[in-house]
Amino acid sequence: MAKENNQAISRKPESAVKHILSFVLMIAFTAAAFYIVVSDVVPSGWVIPLLLVFAAIQVFLQLFTFMHLDQKGTAFYTFFMIAGIFIAVISAVGILLM
Amino acid sequence: MANQTNSSTEMPNHLETATFDGKNKVLGFWLFLGAETVLFACLFGTYLALRNQSLEGPTTQELFDLKLVALATALLLTSSLTSVLAMIKMNERNLKGMVTWLVITLVLGLAFLVLEIYEFLHYIHEGHTFMSSAFGSSFYALVGTHGAHVTFGIIWIITLIAQAIRRGITTETAPKLFVSSLYWHFIDVVWVFIFTLVYLLGKVG
Repeated sequence: MAKENNQAISRKPESAVKHILSFVLMIAFTAAAFYIVVSDVVPSGWVIPLLLVFAAIQVFLQLFTFMHLDQKGTAFYTFFMIAGIFIAVISAVGILLM
Repeated sequence: MANQTNSSTEMPNHLETATFDGKNKVLGFWLFLGAETVLFACLFGTYLALRNQSLEGPTTQELFDLKLVALATALLLTSSLTSVLAMIKMNERNLKGMVTWLVITLVLGLAFLVLEIYEFLHYIHEGHTFMSSAFGSSFYALVGTHGAHVTFGIIWIITLIAQAIRRGITTETAPKLFVSSLYWHFIDVVWVFIFTLVYLLGKVG
């Protein structure tokens, strides 16, 4: 019984607030990415690295909030994804430099 | 019994991983997503290598309309949020709430698809086709594969909604709904890279 209560409590944090906050951040980074392309607030050499940083942050947010990788017991999922990204980067860079 | 309590404390009270079968489905799906990442990476690599080979056709700077892309991005990003809200409703065993959010997700996904079809038709009109140049081939291969994923996701989620309405939210239907939600988020992750590396990079040059 005590355990069930604990479960109910530990389940609470999976609320909509975290996801909505994450969503607002994603929208903000998306807007920032579009903005630095259409305006010249950022020196031209910095635009592409910044775009990549913004994209990486968004992917991190997606994976760790929307796709629940922040929860316990997801080590294998994270491992599969990291392995996938590792091979993906090698493939993409390999094709690019071919 | 002891085993059951143990496993449920790892991921507290999540219906999708409540059974061994459900756990395997989610685990297998992550392996699939890892493989999908590689598939899209190859298409991205190809596109980035060939994006300036536009022959006499329009270049990326002439072609892309960022307003349209911004709208498509907003639609898909919002649908990702509604999809995760549906999963919260699912774990509250709230069928009506879950179906409502899933239907909103579908509507947003469909709107995205309509925009993409409109965009492609517009490009074909401008002389940018699959056969017109290496840029055209790699562009449609990449963005088209993503669009095909969206289409498949929409059909998949429709069938899952029908099943959930008939059978309710059970340990059998929950893992299916959960992995379809993961799939939908993954589509959004791919789109983040498409709008960054295809559209925004295309405007930067």
